[in-house]
Amino acid sequence: MRYHVTTGPLDPRELEAAVTHPGAGAICTFTGIVRDNSRGRSVTHLDYEAYAEMAVPQMRKIGEEIKQRWPGSRVAMAHRTGHLEVGEASVVVCVSAPHREEAIAACKWGIDTLKESVPIWKKEHGADGTYWIEGDKARPTAG
Amino acid sequence: MAVAIAIRVRLFARLRELAGIETESLQLAPGATLSDVYSKVRQTHPELPDRSSVRGAINQEFADWSARVSDGDEVAFIPPVSGGL
Repeated sequence: MRYHVTTGPLDPRELEAAVTHPGAGAICTFTGIVRDNSRGRSVTHLDYEAYAEMAVPQMRKIGEEIKQRWPGSRVAMAHRTGHLEVGEASVVVCVSAPHREEAIAACKWGIDTLKESVPIWKKEHGADGTYWIEGDKARPTAG
Repeated sequence: MAVAIAIRVRLFARLRELAGIETESLQLAPGATLSDVYSKVRQTHPELPDRSSVRGAINQEFADWSARVSDGDEVAFIPPVSGGL
């Protein structure tokens, strides 16, 4: 599967295998990892929620645009949902291309665009409470 | 004429928690826009924020507030996203 949302652990090698081919001289893989701090607060774990029926088509749309902008590229993306511990991978974006410049630029554009437009949300749990992250804002949860 | 249309509304993340519901079935007048749908949802769930920080989607595609909804549509209201790292 080139684009997916899953509650299971992500394996960047699997996505790399999906984009590799004899004409690809470079593969760039971005892996986002759960960090133990955010905005000056400690983070114990995260919950990710997705609108999966829309998130997967949005990821595919980003992949299609990458293939147009960087001819010869192939793309795979995966995002994890549910409970994630510090150190676990939350997102993987993987792009193969004929040369490294395209692979790196396309991968960066891919993760940047995913963060702006794919309907997935992060809830941070920490010592001082629980926050929904909305873009660049942290909002305390209701309950 | 003037038969009501039925749509399904879905809320996510903080909006879902504020409203206390994940999904709701609504009846609207034909010609209703995404903006009309959100106003109607806010009438029953006044905890929801005004639409300045919300985006709407119709059938899994982002849509303008002026877009019209049709019978059987799935309408989603989406707070600012925060996927990725």
